[in-house]
Amino acid sequence: MVDPIFDYQFRLILIGDSTVGKSSLLKYFTDGKFAELSDPTVGVDFFARIIEVQDGTRIKLQLWDTAGQERFRSITKSYYRNSVGALLVYDVCNRSSFEHIPLWMMEAKRHIEPHRPVFALVGCKVDLVGTDNKNGARREVTCEEARLFAEENGLHHVETSAKTGLNVEQAFVLVAQEVYNRIQTGEYKVEDGWDGIKTGFNRPNGMDFNLLEAETVQSTCC
Amino acid sequence: MPSSDSEDFESADEGQSYEKKDRKKRLSSSNYSDNALESDQNVAKSAAQSSNVGKPADKQQDADGWDDFDIDDNDTNIATASDRNDNKSKSSVSTKPAVKESNTGWDDFDDWGQDDGYSNAPREPAKPKLAELDAELNAIKDKMAPTPAPAPAPTGGGWGWSMHSLLNTATAGITTLTSQVSQGITTVLETGIGAPEPEELARKASQIKESKPSSSSNTPSVEQVPESASAQSKDGDGAYLPFGNLISGVTKFVETTGPKVISGGLDTLETIGKKTMEILQDGDPGLVKKRAMLGLSSEDKPVLSQVLREAREKAEQEEDKTEGVVEEKRVVEVVNYENLFNDFDGPVYLEALKLLSSQTSMRIEEQKRTLDAANRQAMEETLEMVVEIYELPEKEEDEDDEPSPEGPKPDAFHERLQAATQDLSIKLQFQPVVKQYKEVLDWLSNTEDVTVDVIYKQAVSSLAQATSLSMHLYHKTSELILASKIRSTVDESTALSQLTVVLRKHISDLAAQFAEKLNSISADNKQQVNEYITNIFLEAGNSSTYLETAFQLALPIIQIGAI
Repeated sequence: MVDPIFDYQFRLILIGDSTVGKSSLLKYFTDGKFAELSDPTVGVDFFARIIEVQDGTRIKLQLWDTAGQERFRSITKSYYRNSVGALLVYDVCNRSSFEHIPLWMMEAKRHIEPHRPVFALVGCKVDLVGTDNKNGARREVTCEEARLFAEENGLHHVETSAKTGLNVEQAFVLVAQEVYNRIQTGEYKVEDGWDGIKTGFNRPNGMDFNLLEAETVQSTCC
Repeated sequence: MPSSDSEDFESADEGQSYEKKDRKKRLSSSNYSDNALESDQNVAKSAAQSSNVGKPADKQQDADGWDDFDIDDNDTNIATASDRNDNKSKSSVSTKPAVKESNTGWDDFDDWGQDDGYSNAPREPAKPKLAELDAELNAIKDKMAPTPAPAPAPTGGGWGWSMHSLLNTATAGITTLTSQVSQGITTVLETGIGAPEPEELARKASQIKESKPSSSSNTPSVEQVPESASAQSKDGDGAYLPFGNLISGVTKFVETTGPKVISGGLDTLETIGKKTMEILQDGDPGLVKKRAMLGLSSEDKPVLSQVLREAREKAEQEEDKTEGVVEEKRVVEVVNYENLFNDFDGPVYLEALKLLSSQTSMRIEEQKRTLDAANRQAMEETLEMVVEIYELPEKEEDEDDEPSPEGPKPDAFHERLQAATQDLSIKLQFQPVVKQYKEVLDWLSNTEDVTVDVIYKQAVSSLAQATSLSMHLYHKTSELILASKIRSTVDESTALSQLTVVLRKHISDLAAQFAEKLNSISADNKQQVNEYITNIFLEAGNSSTYLETAFQLALPIIQIGAI
């Protein structure tokens, strides 16, 4: 097949305020690059990457990068439905972006219903912390409060930097692993008419499984 | 939902152009796809190479197979219709000399039934049938004799007389019947019973006659019977008439007056006849081939062999085709429009557009529900009006305005796209689709010494990519129109319709250029080239369908602006 072989495809959606760094996070995750300047997303953009979960199962992540801008809000609502995971993205140097997280989460839950997605709380731009003197970039959201919020709501939490690449991979692997685990336990199923989870092309038998274990995912802040 | 805080935050970047971002994004995303494509192309190439290598050998083998078949009649491996034709006519050819050489053709007859390997299936039922027929023939002869001549102990005069009356009856019967039921007779006589039967019956009759010195003078004419059988049924006279007509008559009688004449054997005969017909018709519906062959057999043998040659050629072609299909499958496995479309994210863009479309439709329905009857009526009329405005011109009209493209083609394409959408108050990004067009044109002009497979793959891939980028364009346009504060139903409709026209033309232009490229290659396998060209235009049609689907999906987006 033309497409690299994968066992499952998960669709994840990235939501959060404008300019928190959703697109940069995705760009780093899919391209390994960081763009100093980027333009705001229009409506939704698409990224994809294949990763492996702990047992070597290959997962194609189809990533929907939504516009954070208010004027696209009614449009981006349309795109939640077929997602199995949602990354709630905020800027650690932008207090309001964190404060909007509950709203984003409710919005996502409402539109993804009846499906119950895996959520991850992803703080961005941790590289800016410490250079707080110049551009007024100082940490406005502590790791503790974010983790507390995550625990209260049953979310995974991770702080990342799309500039240094810190924890970018983990943010996605975390969600993918959780989705995969829920498939294993039977909580999630491949369903017709729902594109959150799809099966991929079958791996030719006898192909050696690359048992590269994903790094143990831990909240690395604090 | 957002606090005033975030509103301010967002308004800061509200006016920024998304162009650069979008371009970057497309670049990165297409890099991803390109890589996949490239590796795939290698696969395709090697597959194509290996299949090219394998092909001549296969062909050779194939030809050998046919030769073997010619030499060895017992070769039963292929049971195609033409094979049977081949065998059948061959055997009838081979038996003919036997008729001439030995008038005691009975041994030949038996041999005839057995000498073909293929006859295991189709011929076996014919043998008992013929034996049966002989018996029946005797019975009929007996019955048809006006006087109850003692059949078991035929005298010279008795037989001659019997034959004569039989001849009269048969002739009378046949002259009317040939015209009336020529179709039925031809089918039954020439194919159902078949050419061999006339020969056999003739030989048998001649044998009977030969045992009588008085009728031995007829022998020479007997020799000609097989060859002139069909001529006789037309003429209805001549010295050899008896036997040809006898057979026709017998057949007819068996068919029509059978129950009266021969009650006992009829069922058996019918079963055998049906079975034989089934077997003969197997792979040759309506017995077209066999009939054509046997109809000609009386004319001349060269014609028959001509038929055989043609049949063989046809079979060989079919064989080649089967082989080609297998080979093509290999290419097709790799060159699959839908897979490529998928690789270029086409389905994702399309799905996003669908989600947007259905959500907008829902919003329209919601609005409708909040209205009272009168307003709802007005709204429905508005929606209907938009449907009428929002339509694509017929494809023929597309061809009107094709001025000679000035300057580089991609620029002209870009200009057309811009002209189509100039009335929209949004800024659209045409770079990806223009860039892809440029790449395709570069590829076409710079690529030499490639196999048709590579060109074909590139063609399908380019079509899939262009379609995918078009889906992206429709999706983005829809999003921007929805997010736009200034709405104009007419402008939007015109723009999207014109955009579709331009893109549709773009797709057919791509297809035409690849077809041209394929034609410019001096390929040995012209048929393959033609198949590829057909497929390219088929996929271009597929692309056009996607464009039209996307166009229709955008309807609610235009509609919601009108209400």
